[in-house]
Amino acid sequence: MNDIDRDLRERARVLRRGEQRADAGTRIDRRIFLHRSLWAGAAAGAASFGLFPLLNTIDMAFAQEGQSFRFAWISDTHLLPDDVNTRFVEKTIRAVQEVQAMDPSPDFLIFGGDLAQLGDPVELKLGKGILDELEIKKLFIPGEHDWYLDMGKTWVEMFGASPWKLDHKGVRLIGLDTVGQAPDYWSATNMSPQERMGHMATLDGSVAGAWAGLGDEQLKWLADAVADWPKDAPLVVFSHNPLYEYYPPWNFWVRDWRAVHEILAPFNRVTNLHGHTHQVLYNQFGKVRSIGMLATAWPWPYAPEGVPALTRCMVRANPGDHFDGVGWDKLAFAGEGVENEYVMWRPKEDAVFAQEPHDSGCADNINQRLHARVADRMWPY
Amino acid sequence: MRIQPFVNAGLRVLALAAAAGAVQFALAHGSKHTRAQLQAFEAAFMEQVRIGDLLFHGDPETEKQLGVSLSQTGMACAMCHPYGSDTHPYEFPKWQEQMGEFATLRDMINWCIEKPNQGTKIDGDSEAMKALEAYIYWSNRGSSLDPGRH
Ligand code: HEC
Ligand SMILES: [Fe+2]
Ligand SMILES: [Fe+2]
Repeated sequence: MNDIDRDLRERARVLRRGEQRADAGTRIDRRIFLHRSLWAGAAAGAASFGLFPLLNTIDMAFAQEGQSFRFAWISDTHLLPDDVNTRFVEKTIRAVQEVQAMDPSPDFLIFGGDLAQLGDPVELKLGKGILDELEIKKLFIPGEHDWYLDMGKTWVEMFGASPWKLDHKGVRLIGLDTVGQAPDYWSATNMSPQERMGHMATLDGSVAGAWAGLGDEQLKWLADAVADWPKDAPLVVFSHNPLYEYYPPWNFWVRDWRAVHEILAPFNRVTNLHGHTHQVLYNQFGKVRSIGMLATAWPWPYAPEGVPALTRCMVRANPGDHFDGVGWDKLAFAGEGVENEYVMWRPKEDAVFAQEPHDSGCADNINQRLHARVADRMWPY
Repeated sequence: MRIQPFVNAGLRVLALAAAAGAVQFALAHGSKHTRAQLQAFEAAFMEQVRIGDLLFHGDPETEKQLGVSLSQTGMACAMCHPYGSDTHPYEFPKWQEQMGEFATLRDMINWCIEKPNQGTKIDGDSEAMKALEAYIYWSNRGSSLDPGRH
């Protein structure tokens, strides 16, 4: 058995502990809502498009138990200075205006990281200026693009430190920092801050490696942060990177996901909302539901090894329309759990999920094999 | 990132190998190729892959050396196509919906330079185009040919 096999087997073993199958009669729609029966365990299914176990859409009972509220997610705006790229600015402004226009107004905005493209204070200030227009409570977690020019200094000054926790209408909200704990690849070679940031900003680069993670200290913090919380009470965990192993070479994971799972395993109502993947994504591990949020800047392709079996893939984006395949997320918490609506700026509003394999960002790529790049490796390769 | 001079690097490898007396040139396919020759052929190809990789990842020095400007938005190809994903070189030529015409990979490379990147279209036979093509094919090697697929 090679390393990859061993890893895949271990992943399967850990994730499928106490496995339960999804109810075949349920379905995922533009709005994702999971029926309570599905919280009981991770669902496993065939990865193919046709066999996707569809999950239930249920109109939200808003009056339920007085515990309902709305919130919004914006992330991955990747702002460059506005004389370099006006499109990214335009899209960030559009998202902010749409959140502002939500009626009833959301309780808060969570900004999920990658506000800037190269961590430049000019970019971060530009982003802050746009977000300041939004007159609701704002919560922040950092992305790698915000961090590695000055190791988070400007970010923390402007938006505060992570991790944090906050109780809101009976829900414990937790914001993690999954980006700031990268192993040091820069000191030994005396990299400049710009070079360090450049490697971090290259999703498919080979220098920075599979850097995402919480680190020991934050794992301890997380264990403490949930220690007093009742096992049946709702927990919503925000992270920039997904909290499971989807595709490490692009940091579609956190390296210490096993430890995160151990900490969250006793809780029955956990939802993880994450950025970084810039795509429609859904998974469950243990009892944790995980939903990938949209970027405003650009969509990433699905990982070459495939997507979680529970994901219903988004449509292929049109590269001629910079508003396609991107947007923000409208969320609601209503008694039972988190409901997500992908607000994707497509001409045809309803076509977020692909209806046919040939229009799907994952099912279309059955012939595709991909290989890591070479130019940033040491010569000779 | 250090960039080595690369113009005709592959040919230089061949010439060096020949000068060292290690290789007997096989000018046609009639005679057998030595291992050293095959390595030199591969090196010539990989050098183009490396250049294409740098262009695809928006390396400004490589652009300058080749006299091209692939982007005006701060975006590089790899930002939307990590590992060359979704460039589908194995599907060309095909009817390209976005262009409304029957197109080659090179046409589509140029289309993405002009549309998402707002850059300047490059000559279909230029060094830069060949290098981009080399990188895109190389990163998609092992994919099944399926010309004409949407
Ligand atoms: C803003 C994102 C973005 C950037 C930047 C970008 N592309 Fe694209 N490109 C796309 C999308 C989206 C598609 C459509 C993929 C699909 O059909 O599934 C595409 C399609 C393509 C295709 C054709 C694939 C097909 O099957 O039709 C090629 C080739 C291509 N791009 C090459 C490039 C090159 C070379 C660059 C850099 C000069 C580049 N792209 C920059 C988003 C981008
Ligand atoms: Fe991002
Ligand atoms: Fe990110």
